[in-house]
Amino acid sequence: MEFFLQQVMTGLSIGSILLLVALGLALIYGSMGVINMAHGEFLMLGAYSTWALNTFFGLGLLSSLVFVFLLVGAFGWAVERGVIRFLYRRPLDTILATWGIGIILQQVVRLSAGGELRYVEMPEVLTATVSILGVTVPGYRVFVFVVVAALFALTWALMFKTDFGRRLRAVVQDRDTATCFGVDADRVYSLTFAYGAGLAGLAGALVAPLKSVSPEMGTAYVVDAFFVVVLGGVQSLFGTVVSAGLLGQLTGSLAWVTNDTVAKALVLVAIVVIIRFRPQGLFVAKVRS
Amino acid sequence: MTKRETSRHISRHLREGRLQIAAYAAICLAVFLVPVLVDNDFLLNRYARYLVLGMVAMSLALAWGYAGILNLGHALSFGIGSYCMAMTLKLRTVPTHTGSDGLPDFMVWNNVETLPWLWVPFHSTTFAIAAGLLAPALVAAVLGWFMFRGRVTGVFVAIITLASLVVANLLVIDMQAYTGGFNGITDLAQLSLFGITFDAYSKSTYYLVATCLTLSLFACLAVTRSKAGLILQAIRDDERRVRFFGYDVASYKVMAMAVSAAVAGLAGMLYTVVMEFASPTFLGVPLSLSIVIWCAVGGRQSLAGAMLGAIVIAAMQGALSESEAFLETWTLVMGVVFVAVVLFLPQGLAGLVEIVRARLAAARARPAEPIAPVAAPGTGERS
Repeated sequence: MEFFLQQVMTGLSIGSILLLVALGLALIYGSMGVINMAHGEFLMLGAYSTWALNTFFGLGLLSSLVFVFLLVGAFGWAVERGVIRFLYRRPLDTILATWGIGIILQQVVRLSAGGELRYVEMPEVLTATVSILGVTVPGYRVFVFVVVAALFALTWALMFKTDFGRRLRAVVQDRDTATCFGVDADRVYSLTFAYGAGLAGLAGALVAPLKSVSPEMGTAYVVDAFFVVVLGGVQSLFGTVVSAGLLGQLTGSLAWVTNDTVAKALVLVAIVVIIRFRPQGLFVAKVRS
Repeated sequence: MTKRETSRHISRHLREGRLQIAAYAAICLAVFLVPVLVDNDFLLNRYARYLVLGMVAMSLALAWGYAGILNLGHALSFGIGSYCMAMTLKLRTVPTHTGSDGLPDFMVWNNVETLPWLWVPFHSTTFAIAAGLLAPALVAAVLGWFMFRGRVTGVFVAIITLASLVVANLLVIDMQAYTGGFNGITDLAQLSLFGITFDAYSKSTYYLVATCLTLSLFACLAVTRSKAGLILQAIRDDERRVRFFGYDVASYKVMAMAVSAAVAGLAGMLYTVVMEFASPTFLGVPLSLSIVIWCAVGGRQSLAGAMLGAIVIAAMQGALSESEAFLETWTLVMGVVFVAVVLFLPQGLAGLVEIVRARLAAARARPAEPIAPVAAPGTGERS
């Protein structure tokens, strides 16, 4: 029983990080139809910003979170204004352009911050362990879980309870009609992209103390995150949650059943098969085209 | 449009076609003349390498520029071809550390007792060359059939091909006992065909590459200028309309992807001959991305454009690769150029040439005569 609970806790922890990475991706993909290949690099940028704030300004992880969100969000806004907005009519080229941006970001970071691994310290308060139902869990993992839950609630509220969310949903349903009603679609798109990028930045900041920070760190996360999005369905926030949880549990238990490479290959094959047979995702009953 | 105008369009189209063939022939002739001017085996080996990369970029242009299939996993075909050649050349070596049956050295290190069944037919070079062409084509055809029968299009094609490449790459590295794993297959014999031994650092290998390049360039040109080539371009521009005309869209796309993969497989085989090894990086994501970049910068809708794009960029990179810092900066510059080309010059440098040529022609033509749009390069949006 205790072993089982331990597994569930590990799964929840992995799942919460996955959800955080996937949330921004799902938002950008679901609402704008842009597959952002640079999402992993936005995450990496968030991790490096945390490291830089930590090293040069002495800011702790908790106090840098807001700055990181704003910083990476502003960067995302610039990318949308400078590149993505020219490509809405050429979806294939958005893949190429965002891929190129990802490479540029990796190289810029490698040339400026150096290619070696960086480390971000965990906040003192969160180094303790917590006991839940008789299982000891690192406090930081609990903290990440709570933050992700809060961010998800915030995103949901933003989408469904605010004026901005209504505008966004209107543009997603029919851009032209929404524009006729006075919605500034350009502005909605750029803010959505910025928000998604900001979320990726936060994800980077939160995973920074768990893993080392390197220019290539984003790639691994973005594959899994993309899987979460595909599995969950592009326009369903709750589908994203369910699939993140599912994949978290799956990865947690698969890790000790098979070897790492085979697990990775299986995940990719699953992505391919799902895209082929259910491009709208597993948890979406009906899709309006 | 009157009958006279139509016939004028057709004759103009034919004239442009002849011009294109002449230009391609001139490029190939120039490629063959290089060894006359350069008498340096080291340089010739380098140039042969660039030509091979040009060939693989050209094969991607066939699938991407003409059929609209953005194959982000094109290095998969290249890698399969390269491993096929490496396997047969490995079996031709006289190994120093062999077990029974002349096992390749890395298998001995991995405690493999007998030659795996997949390796056995590669004792024959003829089989290996056939496999290097057909295996990539078959893999691409199966993948294409899987995608296009389900009417998977656009970005999802890109994602699926990319994911397939990563899976293959993981498996090749993981199955160390059969593929040489991370190190690839090294210490190869030299290829012997028709009594000629192709030393990587010699004119013979350069001419082999140049000949294959010429043949495949004109084969691809023939495909694009055939009726099937026209249908492929129509599919690229509006798949649904072509389907409504009663064409079997999926079969045409599968065909385009398979032909493109076979040419890439040929390029992969030559790459092994030129580099004298095969490595998992030959079917890695970075190479696949480079192929896409070469193609985009050179001009995705021009076979020669994509080829020259690859040759020029790879040559510039080769010239800079002396220094690590230069190379890092180079990657950065390439990223910027790539994004800029995607944004502002979707037809690449070849498109730029076309624009300039059209302007010149317009300036020369009588003002009363409108410019015929028939043979103008594709404009506007692709999906």
